[in-house]
Amino acid sequence: MNEEIFVLSLRQLLGKRRTFALIALALLPLLVALVVRTSDSSADPVDPLDNAMVNYGLIVTTLLPLVTLVLSTTSLGMEIEDGTIVYLLSKPLSRAHASTAKLAASWLPAGVLVALSASLSGSIALQGSGESTLLLAFVVSSALGALAYSALFLFLSLLTTRALIVGLIYVFIWEGLVTELFAGTRILSIRQYTLGVGDLLTESTKLDAHLDGLAALALMIAVTSAVVALAIRRLNRFESRSLF
Amino acid sequence: MIKAENVSRWFGNIVAVSDISFSVGAVITELQGPNGAGKTTILQMAAGFLQPSNGSVRVRGQSPWRNSMLYRYTGLVPEREAIYPFLTGYEFVLLNARLHKLPDPREATNRAIRMVELEDAQHRATGGYSKGMKQRAKLAAALVHDPLLLLLDEPFNGVDPAQRLHMMGVLRDLAAAGRTIVFSSHILEDVERLADNVLVIVSGRLAASGDFHRIRRLMTDRPHTFVLRSSDNRRLAAALVETQSVKGVELIDGGLSVRASDFGAFTLAVSAIARESGVTLFEFVPADQSLESVFSYLVKR
Repeated sequence: MNEEIFVLSLRQLLGKRRTFALIALALLPLLVALVVRTSDSSADPVDPLDNAMVNYGLIVTTLLPLVTLVLSTTSLGMEIEDGTIVYLLSKPLSRAHASTAKLAASWLPAGVLVALSASLSGSIALQGSGESTLLLAFVVSSALGALAYSALFLFLSLLTTRALIVGLIYVFIWEGLVTELFAGTRILSIRQYTLGVGDLLTESTKLDAHLDGLAALALMIAVTSAVVALAIRRLNRFESRSLF
Repeated sequence: MIKAENVSRWFGNIVAVSDISFSVGAVITELQGPNGAGKTTILQMAAGFLQPSNGSVRVRGQSPWRNSMLYRYTGLVPEREAIYPFLTGYEFVLLNARLHKLPDPREATNRAIRMVELEDAQHRATGGYSKGMKQRAKLAAALVHDPLLLLLDEPFNGVDPAQRLHMMGVLRDLAAAGRTIVFSSHILEDVERLADNVLVIVSGRLAASGDFHRIRRLMTDRPHTFVLRSSDNRRLAAALVETQSVKGVELIDGGLSVRASDFGAFTLAVSAIARESGVTLFEFVPADQSLESVFSYLVKR
C-alpha cells in the first residue's frame, strides 16, 4: 500500500460535504434504537434483543452499502472523472500499491462509521442485557462487510463512470430483491456474507442469515480477493481518452 | 528519445491516429494541429496511457504501455486543469516528489517551485489559483524528478502573455540542458516562438514535419484568397492580372475574388495597383485566414 495515496485519499474524502451527510445517516440507527428503547413499553413491550436485531438489520441493508458506495466512488471515481488520477498513475510505483491505498482509504472511514453506528445503536438497544458477544459480532461483521463492499465499488468505479448508479442497482435490486426471491443467488450477495459472518460470531438465531457462517466467511474472502485482483488488473491497463 | 513507427490508434470506428512515424530527440518538438487532430492521443501513447492499436511507440527504446518504471524519466503536464484543490502548491509538488520516491523530496520540491517561479503562491491552496498558476504548479510537479522527457498537452492554453513567455523560457532552458520536450498546440504562432522541430498533425495523419522555418514557409507560401470591392471592379481586375503574385481573378457579386501566391508582397502591392489604375478601393479582406484552411492546404499538398 502506498502511504502518500492513502493519506491524500483520506484528505480528499474528509473534505467533502457528502462525508458529513454520511455521518448524519450513521446517527439514524442510534436514534431509532433510542426511540424504541424509551417509548412507553407497558402496552406493547419490546424485547431489547429484537430492538438490537432490527437496528442491525437496518445498518447492514442500508447504511453499510450506502456509506461504502458513496466513499468508494468518491475516492476513485471522482479522480478518474476530473483527471487527477494521472498524477498518481504516472509514477514509478506499482499500481497494486495504488489500488490497495485507495481501498484502505475508503474502507477505513466506512468501516469505522458503520462499526461505530452498529455498536452504539446495539448497546443502546441492549442496555442492561449485557450481550457483549452480540456487539462484537455486529462490529466485526459490519467492518468486514465494509471491506467487501468497498472493494466491489472501487472496482465498479474503474469499470464505469456510472458506478454510483450501478452500485445502487446492485444493492437495492440484486441484494434487496433478487436474492430475497431466489435463494440460489444468495451466494453472490455481500449482504448475506455480512449477516452470515455475524451469525458465525454469535449463537443468536435472530440474525436473518441465510448462508452458513463459515461458508459466508469463505465466500466473502474469495469474492473480495477476486474483486481486488480484478481492480489491480484493470488499473494496470488503465486507458483514458480524456485524462489529458 | 521517442520513436514512433507506423502508429495507429482507433477508438471503435473512429481513427484518432493513422499510421504515423516520427522520431524525436533532445530538442523542443511541437505537435501542431487543429483540435481533434490526434495530438493528445499521440502524447498519451508516449505517456503510457493509451496502447497503440497498431505499430509501436518507444521511449528510450522501451514500450511505455504498462511500464510504470519509465515514469522515472518522463514528466507529464496534462491539459486537464484539475489538481487537488485542498492541497497547497507546495504540497502538490511535494506529493509528486514523494510518489517518485526521491531521496530528498523537499529539496526537489523547492527547486521545481523556483524553476516555475511559484514561490509567492506556494503556500496557498491550489483551489484558489488562476489558470496560469495551476499550469505552473502542474509544470513544477512534472519537473520535480528532473525528467529526461517532458510531455505537455496544450501548455499555453489560457495562460496570459507574460506567464507564457516565462514558461517558454523554462522550456528553452530545459532543452538547452539536453532534455527532450514535446508539446502540443493548436495555436499557429507557437510554431515560430518556441519549437525547433514541428510535426503538423491533421485528421490523425502527419501532414508535414521539419524545422519551423520550413513549416512557416509552407504556411505563408500557399495561395491566399482575398475579396476586394472597388469603384471599378473590371478595371482593377485587368490591372491585377498583370501583377506577378496574382494567380487568378474572378468577378463575384459586387466585387472581386483574387488568388495570390505571396501574402506579404500582394498585400503591399494592392493599394499601389489600385491608385495607378485610378480605382478607389473600398474593401480588401483576406478570405481564408482560418486555421482550418491552412491545415487543409497542408494536407492537400
